[in-house]
Amino acid sequence: MKIRGKILFLAGAMTALGAGWAGFPRVIYRSRPQPVDFSHKVHAEKAGSQCEDCHAFRDDGSFAGIPALDKCAGCHAAAMGTTAAEKNFIEQYVTPQREPQWAANARQPENVYFSHAVHVKRGQVKCEQCHGPQGSSDRLPPYQVDRISGYSRDIWGAGGRPGMTMDDCVACHQKQGLEHSCLDCHK
Amino acid sequence: MTTTRRDLLRFAGGAAFGAFLTPAPWRLITDTALWSENWPGIPRPARGEIRTKFTHCSLCPAGCAVRARCVGQQPVALAGVFGGLCPFGVTAHHLPYHPARLRQGPVKEAAAAVAAAIAKCGPRERVAVLDLRPGRTASWTYRRAMAGVRNGTYIAPAQPPVSVNLANARTVLSLGAPLLDGWCSPANAFAARDRFRLIQAEPVESRTASLADTWLPIRTGSEQALALSLAGALDTRDAAERTGLAERQIVDLARELKENGPALVIDCRMSQNVVALNVDLGSWGRTIVPRPEAPVPAAWKTAAPPAELAAVPDGSIRVLLIDESAPGEYLPWNEIQKKLVSGNPLVVAFACSREGYGQHAQFVLPAAAFPEVTDDLPAAVDAVAPGFRLATPLIPAPDGLVNPVDFVAGVAGLAAPDALRQRADAIHASGKGKLVTYADGKSAAVKEVKADEFWKALNAGACWTGDAAQPGRAPGRDFSPAAEAAVPALTAVAAELAIADSPLMSKVYQESNLRLGPDRVAMHPRSARECGVEDGAKATLETSAGQRRVEVMIDSGICPGVVLVAARPGFEPGQAKVVRI
Repeated sequence: MKIRGKILFLAGAMTALGAGWAGFPRVIYRSRPQPVDFSHKVHAEKAGSQCEDCHAFRDDGSFAGIPALDKCAGCHAAAMGTTAAEKNFIEQYVTPQREPQWAANARQPENVYFSHAVHVKRGQVKCEQCHGPQGSSDRLPPYQVDRISGYSRDIWGAGGRPGMTMDDCVACHQKQGLEHSCLDCHK
Repeated sequence: MTTTRRDLLRFAGGAAFGAFLTPAPWRLITDTALWSENWPGIPRPARGEIRTKFTHCSLCPAGCAVRARCVGQQPVALAGVFGGLCPFGVTAHHLPYHPARLRQGPVKEAAAAVAAAIAKCGPRERVAVLDLRPGRTASWTYRRAMAGVRNGTYIAPAQPPVSVNLANARTVLSLGAPLLDGWCSPANAFAARDRFRLIQAEPVESRTASLADTWLPIRTGSEQALALSLAGALDTRDAAERTGLAERQIVDLARELKENGPALVIDCRMSQNVVALNVDLGSWGRTIVPRPEAPVPAAWKTAAPPAELAAVPDGSIRVLLIDESAPGEYLPWNEIQKKLVSGNPLVVAFACSREGYGQHAQFVLPAAAFPEVTDDLPAAVDAVAPGFRLATPLIPAPDGLVNPVDFVAGVAGLAAPDALRQRADAIHASGKGKLVTYADGKSAAVKEVKADEFWKALNAGACWTGDAAQPGRAPGRDFSPAAEAAVPALTAVAAELAIADSPLMSKVYQESNLRLGPDRVAMHPRSARECGVEDGAKATLETSAGQRRVEVMIDSGICPGVVLVAARPGFEPGQAKVVRI
């Protein structure tokens, strides 16, 4: 009877482990594709674009984030290549002047104040340090959103890239010997 | 082999154990916390392009220039332009959302009641406007309106007859004036602070007293006696008895004012004795000058003259309209009440909350709060040159608010839709002074600017500064004797000026003891012993205004015989009694 009890306990534990590690992520995250099949790699290699060409700072120093359609339409008013992705982009968005509804993986809670200008211009932090090798990727990964919190799965970091949670910010600031008081980010 | 209940429990126990070794429970805790941040009703900061707007803060008469950081049309941060802003000003963009904010009121009913009450006015009864902040263009409209009403009276608190020039002072004696706490423009006071020695004489170690070079703890109500003594109009021994200071201290103080000049003596209202003392010290034209005022259209000069409340006959006001929307000096309600007719007077208050005179009025009509208001700021007490500045709205006012000026003008049948523009045109027509634009920090002579451009610039947060007036002949050395009132055993004194009710500052006392809350009083240890109370004791505070249950704090920074209470609009210092519960 003792062995039977242990087996049952172990079976319960294994079931929970399997459900927690394999099943839970499939249940908690909802996946959806980005509106446009965008290749950072093509833009970097063929067009020679740098990150800041599209993800620019405004005149007042604030960060514009994901570029608006006007920026894309500056080059893609007419097709520059022969790919189906570009053709689709022009037909679906550029011609009807419809903004693509990009899903931002780095979206932070409303109570967080993050300054790209301070990190990039003053702190000389490279884009890849937080965003990973997005700039050389051939296609955008699907956007996986947490069904409960509403934030991207990407926030937690993956593949050696640090996450974008409060703990990650604090850890980096501690490592660099920088200030990390509450009011730095929570104004 | 049958499955027993014990088997199920073993399996469940294993599952529970295993679950804790997976990310699921921990992620669910985090996700639930994040989810709760997005519940409906939780305010969200605006996102978008950042713009800068300029205006002037109208929370107090200092009228500091404000640089507003806006996301879209929403101000998200306020800062000073030339120097800092006080804590009230920094948080002013929260004010319209204060839970105590008035948004609706019985406007039509009030208008009908006012019209009916005016119709019923007897030959000796008055219709009066009480303006807490005189000198504005709105004040001129009230005066013009009251000139057109039978027995119309414009009442305003006494204003300092002179301006002070802190930049020229080397020694400043403040008789209870909160010099570093909102009495004048904070930026001006702190810019000049390093160049003068500050002596603060008052019964409480206020914030100004704690930042002064010397604090002279004097008895409540003995400020005038000290001023007279310093001018040689009162015997030093007599003054020492009244103030509680040593004779030697008064003699040394008088010597310091004479030897370390230019000296400046101030009190809250720059009273007659204080002005005369300054003249006596040779400060006329150096640290005090006549109070300037920006030009007004010639047609306005026929307006009703300002009257002090004391000059109004008792029991004569049938209709009293109180403009409390621009906070200023609150007159004690007991004094106002004496002036109302005995039978059914009508009091209408225009206010942002019910905290002030609204408690006593039949109608409280909601008025715009900064930064929703369009108003001008009269010259501050530390302005040596006339000025004209507008508080322009950073956010639109909600529907349902009343403009007190329109209401009063309507009562009097006066058409004054664009009085601010008329005033600006009169200033422009004078051709004097310069226009300073904060966006580029440049100034231009008014003569070089067209009238429309002048008006447009003022609305974009620019400021007109006139030419400083010549001091002219000094007023006579005319002292009025200080009343020798019996000093009560315990006097209630308010903690600070009630210029505004900032959500941030009103929250401080709820979370700390940095500011007195309405249910706390502070006393000197000796006074507390005499009343039989100790630190943290529950007691009843009795004053002429009524009684309240309070908690006692012991503070040696308060003179014996004084009980410090939180400021309330219209609070009058007076005899108090603290009884242990």
